Amino acid sequence: MIEINHLYKSYDKPVLKDVSLSVRRGSILGLLGPNGAGKTTLISILTGVIRKESGCITVDGLDLDRELKAIQLKCSYVPQALAFYRLLTAFENLEYFGALWGLKGKKLKERMEFCIDIGSMQRFAKKRVDKFSGGMKRRLNLAIGLLNDPEILYLDEPTVGVDTQSRNYILETIRKINRERKTTIIYTSHYMDEIEQVSDDIAIIDEGKIILHGDKQAILTRDDAVNNFGHRTLEKLFLKLTDVRLRDEG
Amino acid sequence: MIKILYILKKEFLLIIRDIHAITVLFIMPAVFIMIMSLAMRDLFELHGAVSIDVLAVNQDAGKKSEAFLKAMDALRTFRFHLIEKEAAADKVADKIKEQMLARDYKFALIIKENFSAFVEKNGKGKDEKPLELLVNPAVNVQTQLVLKSALDGKLAKLTWDAFIDRMGSLLPLAGIDREKMTAAEESLVEVHYVYKEGRYSKIPSAVQQSVPAWLVFSMFFIVIPISNTFISEREQGTLMRLKSMNVSRFCLIMGKMAPYLLINAIQVIIMIAMGVYIVPLCGGTALTLGDSMGGLILIAASVSFSAISMALLIASAARTTEQATTVGGVLNLIFGALGGIMVPKFVMPGFMQDLANMSPMSWGLEGFLDIFLRNGNVSDVLPKSLYLFIFGVVMLTLTVILLRRRGEI
Repeated sequence: MIEINHLYKSYDKPVLKDVSLSVRRGSILGLLGPNGAGKTTLISILTGVIRKESGCITVDGLDLDRELKAIQLKCSYVPQALAFYRLLTAFENLEYFGALWGLKGKKLKERMEFCIDIGSMQRFAKKRVDKFSGGMKRRLNLAIGLLNDPEILYLDEPTVGVDTQSRNYILETIRKINRERKTTIIYTSHYMDEIEQVSDDIAIIDEGKIILHGDKQAILTRDDAVNNFGHRTLEKLFLKLTDVRLRDEG
Repeated sequence: MIKILYILKKEFLLIIRDIHAITVLFIMPAVFIMIMSLAMRDLFELHGAVSIDVLAVNQDAGKKSEAFLKAMDALRTFRFHLIEKEAAADKVADKIKEQMLARDYKFALIIKENFSAFVEKNGKGKDEKPLELLVNPAVNVQTQLVLKSALDGKLAKLTWDAFIDRMGSLLPLAGIDREKMTAAEESLVEVHYVYKEGRYSKIPSAVQQSVPAWLVFSMFFIVIPISNTFISEREQGTLMRLKSMNVSRFCLIMGKMAPYLLINAIQVIIMIAMGVYIVPLCGGTALTLGDSMGGLILIAASVSFSAISMALLIASAARTTEQATTVGGVLNLIFGALGGIMVPKFVMPGFMQDLANMSPMSWGLEGFLDIFLRNGNVSDVLPKSLYLFIFGVVMLTLTVILLRRRGEI
């Protein structure tokens, strides 16, 4: 479905160095990495927000350089930031972004209803977003990303700063979308347990390179995933692979 | 097209729910227009058909004093407030002085008992001065001279007419047309006000200066809401989301321009309505609009385009909302001070008028004045509109270059 080959990108210094990765159709790929590892840059390139320097990316056989528009119509990007308008209501935000996706009339209404429903926002859809709690805002951020019924959904840390209930609801929703609509999902997070919970495949990126990629079960059964208490955890493996030193950006 | 409509709706909702934007775009200019139109009324209106209040007492029993007051009223420069005359002539001065101070009049005029006798050169006191003017020492000499000249002029005319009346039977014998000799006098001096831009027969009244000046100023303050929205979109990742949605550059730029063009148009309508309907209710004069709707639309659209383009450049270049509002605010104040918004251009010395021509606010203000004051039309405002348009195109080009370089569009 998504094929990334020898991808390079640099700003002042190299951010992505020879990244190659494939994502299966209908799977959830958990993309892990410390701060500054290149996760957001990788997603930004895949969504056409920034341009790559070199390498080749195809989505469903379409070349990203030549057929970006067609690819973008299949995808949706839920940024880590709460990318909507705080002075508008949830309803108005959905209407605005839906219209920008080219939806109108009955179709727009249907998709908005679906998103309100999936975000469990029926009671507060007509309230201004600046009155929302953190969890409600995160659900709206996700719901906006589902307006175009995407085949591929990019989620950049979609549960940052929410309470346990909202987090659980968002993870359930992600699984539901994947299960029912066969949406391919690329999911970045710092929370290992989340990745363990929702992913089919896992990729770990560090210092611009993919250092581990494979099936979740295969990864979790590796010997180096056993912690001091004899339990198999992704965190143990992640720390071993990426080193325990702090990764302060700057 | 549907996308643009939803973008318009979104921007409108954002503005009407943003109290700061409403204050800057609508309340600030409305308050400025009201205050400046009223506060500067007397200063500006010495040039126009405006009244200087004069307290007056008429001690004369004859008809000539009434004719004199009527002639003075006809000048529409003075408004006489007559008080009851005193039986005892020696008490008149005291009473009028007392009223003058109590009611804060700058001038008081005593028309003495001998006024008609003086004019007709017949009767008691015909050779004594018939008028006494009391002046508040705070009044400037120029204003005193205006009133004194008007009084002298009207008195001379009345005396001349009375003389012609007395000579009535002799005039035909001398071959003089009596009608022409007594015709209502009209000033033979044609006045033009000259400054760097040219020469004009009228100077703006306070409201004619204030409405376009603060309107142009507030239109340029569109930088505040544009920066707020634009920088929030960037900081909150909305711009990134829009880019991932394949929203075209044209749509992104038009999505910023079109709503604010409409908001500027609403500002124009509201501020003009303030000048025409609200300011007169509070004692100021009404704004006159001129005859060229096309010219008004052209200059308003040009100011709007250049203001929005400049705002977009500032919003694109700034990293934070604080940076944008500070830079935008300071630039607007400089353009305003320089461009004749705060101090009318016609009172500036020559070199300052040259400097004023560098401010886009000055081009806009002069364009509006062409329409409101000088009965200008589309061709009169075309040069200023062209400057504003070129300025806007330059700003917009720089914005697009900057945004493309940063990969934001």
